[in-house]
Order: sequence, then structure tokens, then C-alpha cells
Amino acid sequence: MSLLKSKRLPRTMLLLAMLVALGMPAVAADNAADPKAPAKPVAEDTGMMGTNDGEKIYQQICAGCHMKDGRGATGAGSYPSFAGSANMASSRYVAITMLTGRRNMPAFAPPRRNEFYFPPVWLNDVQVANVVNYIRSNFGNNYPDPITADDVRALQPDKK
Amino acid sequence: MDSGAIRGAMTRRQLLRMVGMTAGSAVMYQAMTSLGLAAETHYKGRPQLGPAPKGASVLVLGAGIAGLVTALELRKAGYQVQVLEYNAKAGGRNWTLRGGDTYTELGGEAQQCRFDKGLYINPGPWRLPHHHHGILSYCRELGVQLENFVQVNHNAYLHSSKAFGGKPQRYRTVKADYHGHIAELLAKVTSEGKLDAVVSKEDKEKLLGSLQWWGALDDKYSYKKGYDSSDRRGFAKDGGGGLTGKPEFSDPVGLHDVIDSELWGSLPMGDLYDMQSSLLQPVGGMDMIAQAFARELGGIIRYQSKVTQIHQDSSGVVVSYQDTAAPGGTLTAKADWCVCTIPLSILSQLPMNVGAPMTAAISAVNYASAIKIGLQFKRRFWEEDDHIYGGISYTDLPISNISYPATGYHSPGKGVLLGAYLWGPNAMKMTSMSPAERIRAAVEQGAQIHPQYPAEFDNGMAVAWHRVPHAMGCFALWTDAKREEHYNNLCAFDGRIVLAGEHASYLPAWQEGAVTSALDAIGRLHQRALAEGAKA
Repeated sequence: MSLLKSKRLPRTMLLLAMLVALGMPAVAADNAADPKAPAKPVAEDTGMMGTNDGEKIYQQICAGCHMKDGRGATGAGSYPSFAGSANMASSRYVAITMLTGRRNMPAFAPPRRNEFYFPPVWLNDVQVANVVNYIRSNFGNNYPDPITADDVRALQPDKK
Repeated sequence: MDSGAIRGAMTRRQLLRMVGMTAGSAVMYQAMTSLGLAAETHYKGRPQLGPAPKGASVLVLGAGIAGLVTALELRKAGYQVQVLEYNAKAGGRNWTLRGGDTYTELGGEAQQCRFDKGLYINPGPWRLPHHHHGILSYCRELGVQLENFVQVNHNAYLHSSKAFGGKPQRYRTVKADYHGHIAELLAKVTSEGKLDAVVSKEDKEKLLGSLQWWGALDDKYSYKKGYDSSDRRGFAKDGGGGLTGKPEFSDPVGLHDVIDSELWGSLPMGDLYDMQSSLLQPVGGMDMIAQAFARELGGIIRYQSKVTQIHQDSSGVVVSYQDTAAPGGTLTAKADWCVCTIPLSILSQLPMNVGAPMTAAISAVNYASAIKIGLQFKRRFWEEDDHIYGGISYTDLPISNISYPATGYHSPGKGVLLGAYLWGPNAMKMTSMSPAERIRAAVEQGAQIHPQYPAEFDNGMAVAWHRVPHAMGCFALWTDAKREEHYNNLCAFDGRIVLAGEHASYLPAWQEGAVTSALDAIGRLHQRALAEGAKA
């Protein structure tokens, strides 16, 4: 349905329309549920990515900095490589980094109602788990212990 | 998906920022006022710092706008100044790409710019608001020639792939029809007395008159086909001379179609404070500013110097760096003070012995994703065919913007326009593409607005800011919560080190933020240096 038909939330209407007018897909904020609203089954909601596939999400989003081959890059600073990185040993470390961000790494599950200049990319728990597992089983990594969406959810105690 | 889903995602304010890349400037204004800069109508010039304590020295890290301003002002005051710059030229994000340039992004893909002589794009900042007194004052001082930048062009397009069959509409018609219908609705309820509780009898007549004028309503307060509406939205056939000169009126689009198109979302862009007329641009490209600074500063900028460590103690600051032209060894530079303008995206990775508050602040902010794509075409069809001279078309496609050069009108030969300027999630996705894929996408999408694209396209340059080796992102993506917690700690002196740059301002992404943060920082540096000099 078109959200613009809603008479309930004029501000929402404006926001959505602006998103559309500006080329932001309306689904961009799919996971940004109102904290007071009941939890949605995130596993079925692929949000702006349109997929839960870890490799596809990695290649569309993460590869911007970490590169398609996962080796990162170095200029005045560096994007870390996943190849042979000891940090990959902990699936939780990788998941938390994705969820909360670290330095110039954006958070992919930022606090609700956080104000940004631009809408961030929200990834659901399944997507985060799949990306973590993709990274930890590619780029020369072969860790045997995949992380699950439930594990990812457990890392976010405040998440409803 | 229910309507609540979008509510948590964006506030109206962030939305405005998104569309305008703008921020409130009250605080910046305050800061400038305290330096005696901007409170009055007349810009009074910059702080007179001097004289510096005898022999006092400052190391400036980064030769972007903040570093250049810092170096210029401190040298004037008599400080011994040295600048270390990662790139082989000055400017940082103040940057212009021209034919003959080679740009290698992170990941190693090199692009050769094949624009014709005189054609360019500014991958970073590209417009100077008339109230950005600081950066404009340096343009004046350094002899940087300016010309108008066109933000609003009534003949540019507003495009939605989901409205009007995907056919782009002229800004003029959308604006006229949107305002006209709103005025008619308001006039209707006003006439019917439905606003009597809030509008006095005297105001009512004036309100109706103003709605008639503002919305181009006829004498019955209707917005409909006729001279009044065509005089805003344009004529089906323009008036001219002689026997065939009679104009023909155009048909306004109905209220539902205007509202449903959502094209009104792009109308107020030029009303945002930082986008209001007049806007200016340096003749020949934005980096004319950086080049002018570099000429002025001469040999005090050491290029191709990659900072690897910043260390301070009670007697001074030692910065370790590598010469990227002669890799291998580590060099050091020393000074009494350090003004560090390295973007937080990079600084957050460098060892630097500052306290926990500044460290936390440096690590708190990630950088916005943004992409600009310049496209060269075999001819300036946007002028020849579409009669668009400068300005910006907006679209709901990922490219978001098409901006036409506000210079060189009617030039024969090829032309370069900005074929994409996108942010946020779309930019993240496009950053993951190769430069050639980005350019291809920009041409494919732009062809929906300008069908001439495929036949006229010549070549392009695509800059994804997270792949820019000296920036690793477009600008500091503060949130209000982060600013509350960290901003003052970021800007405060830590021992002998102070930070400057757009990230240390309330004008993110704007060069004025870099200028004003630098002026603020060096004012405080000078006070400290004087105090220390008095003790010595």
C-alpha cells in the first residue's frame, strides 16, 4: 500500500514522500520499527537489501570498503582485511562490529530514533548472521562455528 | 509494511539535511561572532593574532581547507609553520577533476579523466553560499575569481519513475500547480468562513488577495487554465511577434496528480538557508581555492607525507610520517603545537597520545557515504535541446541529481555535467561497484530524464567518497546524541594538540565549517602560546 494514503501520520507521509522524491527506496527504513510497536518477524523482512543472502549483502554493501575480495585497502588509513585476520576468530566480535559500528565503520543496527543525515542501512538479525558467516567462511577463512540469528539477537539485549 | 515503520527512521530535520546537505548555522555564527567575524552585515575580516611568541612553532596536519587556513593565519602571526599533506597537492576534499588527471581509488582502480580542456567536475564541495563569509573572504584575499552557481532552475526537471508515466516534469510546472492548488484550497476554506476563528475580518480580505497572487488564481480564486496560471507554469505556445505570435495557455495538472506525484518533495531545496541564492563557485573549478592557498604558502607544505603517529609531551609534539614517494623510512617533524585536520575516518586509526575524552570523540563518528559522477557528452544537449542553463534536476532514481554546468553556456564542442550525486544507502551500494559500472548506471538512469544520453555520452569519472584514499568517507556523520556527548571534547585542546576541519564544526560537509573551525582553533592556540611564552 502507499503510505501516502495514511491520514494518521502526516509527518510520516512527508518523510516517505521525500524518500521517494529523493530516490531512497521506501523500504530503506523497513527495520526501523517504532519502539512501541510490537516486534516484527525480522527474519521475513529483508528490508532495503531485498535479500537475506550473506554473500549478496556483502558484495553490495561491505565490499564498498572491504573490497570484493575481502582484503581491504590502504590509503591515508586502512580498511581492514578479513584474510588471515585474528579478529575473525570470534563470530560475536564480527557481529557486534556490524551491529554497533566501530570508528568509521557504520552501525548496521543503529539505535532506534537515532538522528542521521541520511537513512542508514538497517540489517536484520538473519542478515547480520549470514554476512558474518560469509566472511568467516571466505577470504581464506574457514571457521567451523557459524553464528545464528538468535545469537545475533542475543547480542542486542535492548532490542524488542 | 505499516506506517509506523518509517517513523523511527527519519526525522523531518534529518530529511532536510539529507536533501540539502545542510545544517543550522546559528552555532557557527556564534563562534564567528566571538572572533568578531560575522555578526554584522559587513564582514570585518579575520582575527589579528600576532605577534606570535618568539620562535613558537606549529605543525599542521593536512592541507585541506582547515589546514590551509590555519597555516596562512599562523604564518601571518609570525609562527614557524610546517604542513604535512598526504596527497601530492593541496586541497583535500576541495578537489577538481579535469582532463589529464589520473585518480586511483582505494582498491587500486585507476581512472584517467578524458574531459576536454576547460571541463571539470568538483567531486567534493561545489557551491559557496553567499553567507559563508569565511571561505568567501579567502577567495577575495587570494584573488579566486567567482561566478554564480545555479541551484534553482525553473526549467530543470523533477522526475519520478512512478509519476506521469516516468516523464520528467519541469520544475516550473510542478511548482505552479502545487502552489496554485494549495492556494485554491486555502482560498476556498477562507471564503467559506472556516478559518474565521483564526483569521480576522480585515486579514481575511488580504489573505485572499495574497493567495490569489501567490497561487496565480483567477478572479474567482480558481487555479485553472488561463493567463494567470500559464504566466507561472509556462505556455503551451509562448507569445511572440507578428501574425503567429498569439500565446496559447497550458493545462494545469490536477490536484490529485500533483500531490500523488510526490515531486513537490524537491521544490523547497533552494529555500534551505545554505542553498539560497546567490550561490557562488570559483571560475574553473573548486580547487582554484586550494591552488591559491598553495601558491601563497609555497614551500611550507610538505606533500606526499603520510602521518603514522602523533606524540606529545610537555615540551612539544612529534609527528612521525612516511614519504609516500620514497617509502621505507620514517621521518619526524616537531613543533611546539599541533593543529590536526586529518579526517576522523583516518585519525581514529592513528596512534596519538591524547586523553580518553578526545580519543572517544575521534572514534565516535563515522563518515557519510556519497558519490559524484561526472559525465562528458559530445554536445551540450541540455542547453541546445532542453534549454537548461545550470541548475539541478532531481529524480527518484539512485543518481538523485543531475546538475548542469553553470558556466561556459553555448560553448561549442563537448560538455560535462554532474550525472549523479547520491548519498546514504544508494551511495553505499554504488560504492561497491567498479567505477565503470557506476558510470554505466549513471548513464542508464540519466537516460530516463534525458533520452539524448546514450547517443551523446562520451566518457565519465566516478568518485565514491569511501574509496577516496585521503578521506575514506565524505564528511563526519554526527548525530545529535553523539554531538551532545563528544563534540566539545573533540574541539577542546588536549595538551598541545587541537583538531580542526568540517568534523569540528556545526557545518558538516561545508568548507565554511573547516574555515570557522580552524579560526576558532588557532584563536585558542594563540592564547595558549602567549600564556606559555609569558611563563618561559
